[in-house]
Amino acid sequence: MLSCDSYLSPGSLGDALAAVAASDGRFRFVAGATDLLPWAREGRAGDVHVPLMVDISGVPELQTIEFRKARIWIGAATPFQRFLDRPDLIRLVPGMPDCAVWFADNQIRESATIGGNIVNASPAGDGIPPLLTANASVELAALRNGVIRRRSMGLVDFIKGPGQTEAEHDEILLGVECDALEGYGGAFEKVGHRRSLVISVVCLSAMVGMDPSGCKFKDVRLAIGGVGPVARRMNAIEGRLNGRAVSADLLRDVMLSCDQFVQSRTRQEYRKLVAPGFLARGLAKAIRKAGAHPDVCGIAEEVAHG
Amino acid sequence: MADLTLEATVNGRRVVRQAKPSQRALDFLRDDLHMTGTKEGCGAGECGTCSIFVDGVLVKSCLLPVAKIAGKKVDTIEGLATSGEMSAVQKAFHKSGASQCGYCIPGMVMAATAALRLNPDADREEIKERLGGNICRCTGYQKIFDAIEMARDFLNGKLSAAAFDELDAEDGKYIGVNVRRIDAPSKVTGALRYAGDMVLPNMLHVQVLRSPHPHARIVSIDVTDAEALPGVEGIVTAADVPGQDGFGVFVSDQPVMARDKVRYVGEPIAAVAAEDLASARRALTKIRVEYEMLPAVFDPDKAMVEGAPVVHDYAPNNLVKHIPIRKGDVEDGFAKSDIIVEQNYETQQVEHAYLETEAGLAYVDHDGVVTVHSPSQNITHHRHMLSRILNLPINKVRMIMSPVGGGFGGKEDMIYQGMLALLTMKTRRPVRLVFTREESIATTAKRHPSRTSYKMGLTRDGVILASQIRIVYDGGAYGMSTEGVIRKGAILGGGPYNIPNFQIDTYGVYTNNTPSGAFRSFGSLQSQFATESHLDICAERLGMDPFELRLKNAMRKGDQTHTKQPLNSSSMSEVLEAARTASRWESGVPNVRGATRSDLGGEGTRPSCTLAPRDVIDPAAEADLSSQRGAA
Repeated sequence: MLSCDSYLSPGSLGDALAAVAASDGRFRFVAGATDLLPWAREGRAGDVHVPLMVDISGVPELQTIEFRKARIWIGAATPFQRFLDRPDLIRLVPGMPDCAVWFADNQIRESATIGGNIVNASPAGDGIPPLLTANASVELAALRNGVIRRRSMGLVDFIKGPGQTEAEHDEILLGVECDALEGYGGAFEKVGHRRSLVISVVCLSAMVGMDPSGCKFKDVRLAIGGVGPVARRMNAIEGRLNGRAVSADLLRDVMLSCDQFVQSRTRQEYRKLVAPGFLARGLAKAIRKAGAHPDVCGIAEEVAHG
Repeated sequence: MADLTLEATVNGRRVVRQAKPSQRALDFLRDDLHMTGTKEGCGAGECGTCSIFVDGVLVKSCLLPVAKIAGKKVDTIEGLATSGEMSAVQKAFHKSGASQCGYCIPGMVMAATAALRLNPDADREEIKERLGGNICRCTGYQKIFDAIEMARDFLNGKLSAAAFDELDAEDGKYIGVNVRRIDAPSKVTGALRYAGDMVLPNMLHVQVLRSPHPHARIVSIDVTDAEALPGVEGIVTAADVPGQDGFGVFVSDQPVMARDKVRYVGEPIAAVAAEDLASARRALTKIRVEYEMLPAVFDPDKAMVEGAPVVHDYAPNNLVKHIPIRKGDVEDGFAKSDIIVEQNYETQQVEHAYLETEAGLAYVDHDGVVTVHSPSQNITHHRHMLSRILNLPINKVRMIMSPVGGGFGGKEDMIYQGMLALLTMKTRRPVRLVFTREESIATTAKRHPSRTSYKMGLTRDGVILASQIRIVYDGGAYGMSTEGVIRKGAILGGGPYNIPNFQIDTYGVYTNNTPSGAFRSFGSLQSQFATESHLDICAERLGMDPFELRLKNAMRKGDQTHTKQPLNSSSMSEVLEAARTASRWESGVPNVRGATRSDLGGEGTRPSCTLAPRDVIDPAAEADLSSQRGAA
């Protein structure tokens, strides 16, 4: 059971930071709250008393979605459902819709935020692999000596380990900036115990840009989650695909290189079995969505399903 | 504590209340506004019994801090049936028989309403996807999906309004006839009150201190500090039991709360009644229990070995019961057999997982009658046991069965009603206990795990000559229904087959595991799993069609069961034939043709779960989201 003495819903970043500055340090930021209440239950944190809750979901900067040159800014309080129903997000962040449709369930997607998924830094956090493939960077704000200090860093540097990030206790994640990848094909593969409300045992994001011929990989970005302490880009595999013509041999060849990414403490064998299949399937779907030549799509799909 | 002044519109009415900042929207609706149609099933966002609309968007209210509904428009299940008339979705749920225990139904109706508002043309697959966050334990979902499709067709003008009111075409008295459920309207509207929805003036809230150890002697229990806490009105332990402490279905081996020692993790030790839940929970942390650890046993086979830790003194061999059945001479049967097939089988512990967790409300009425409302599946038995435990004449004990939000056997045992009775007698105030989902899973009875060793002898043409079966059921720490479960296992263990030489031994064994109790099929699931698996293996060994093997040995009218019950009728062969036809079974040995089988897939079958996401909405078609909102 979670209890608190005070629950504030500040309307500005300044008010939010001032509220925590005025506290004795015993506070928690709240956004979607979908992980917070289950966390304070038997078997996990149990009965928890947090004197001050600061709900930052109403802070305007966290709600903003805007195009910035070749990048797109997604405010931290953006719920996952927006990746399924906002045309601009679907177009510019093509790695996210397939991820979002697998995320929790319809109802939780309306509350759960992208920022919350990042700061929780779960090894199985579904939102993280697609953001890694979009070269996401995060922006943080904290009050230092009475002024708001803002800083940014790559998402890959921000997440340090399971549940661990670079954010200081009183620092707010404002949002993420991603490459705008219009024209890319994005796919997301995930396996768990059931369709909805499931924690990924393995998840994989594939983002593919094809060259004008539609037969060669121009830019491949892959990231895998659930198989180690943090989600990772699969750079070694990307390098072997970029600039190459799509062929069954090439795809089968890279499928053999997935084991190195599986560093989880449990169920290694199962995960090693799943990862190559996800790689092939993710690539096949992404290739098709990227508008590749039909023959090329056929080749990739045969590898994936054959 | 700074209360929030909360202003919101709930079901069209403006509400201004002081709310506690710790409250969830669910608590506010249920406790402050007394709108108990919104249920709590898990408290962790998993089950969907608490779904509500906030500004038209469906969310789970157990995950929603109450401050998040400030200034918002909230709609609950109570708001769907405007001016007393059920919505199309509610009527369809009623008509389709989609509500059984009813506990998940308010959430299901809300999710169905949301699905049809978002896409009035949603097909069955999309409906399934949109209901992914709502769990039902009774229905298997098919009737729920039927109902939503019916509501969709009505709203789209493809079905007349009369469809909801027409009497079912099949009108008669036979098994399988569609019957309109008279309790459905109360369930689909959220009006039905389960035990956890009931309140009485001056009611106290109960929480239970449970054992963290599987086997330990209780040296002392000190409740002094807990009793001194503000808000705490009463604490009971085994010392407060006035009568003969002990309940159970066949053997009264289970004390209301642990007496002298604990036998499983989660066994109740003390129960606290306090003015509010938080005070009761705080009190639990102040009760000091001193334990002396005892060696524990978790494996029923090891528990039967000489020298194993003893769970109950009365049963030094840890045996709850042994049921042997003998017929003919199995050794002779094996000697005459052409093949002997031996195999071991195991089944696991299973949780009932009803959506309504255990809950109860107790009070002493004006005549001094101790009254307990609970979703008990066995109130008369509970009443008799409670009268003995409380040392009260039977007319001073009343058990009232509240609506059962799913039972499946899991609510047959009187595991908490005794504590409620003792607390209401001690405090002379109404008391209520609602289990958390975690508590329900961790501490209530489960399906018996089992280990079966099977030996069967058959002739080359598939006649069973002998079966020898040994099943060990893990009964856990207390007897509960174990004796009945293993008896049923023994009686039905051989399956509906004529076997001239038959021997079965079932054992119910005490261990320090969570107690095992009643669960649908009551002991025969374990033995049927072994028998039918075994027959499939025998069919493979004999190179025989598995239907043929079963038909050859099936009991028929005039046969006698292994326990000498004559069968005046038997539909076994007809059932097998019907199953064979319905499945378009391709005759032959099942294990030789693999993927080339002709009876896989086809009409009437469903593809395996492919876990494919619904197509992401096409951005062009999604230009105006609001235009898609339906009228559900």
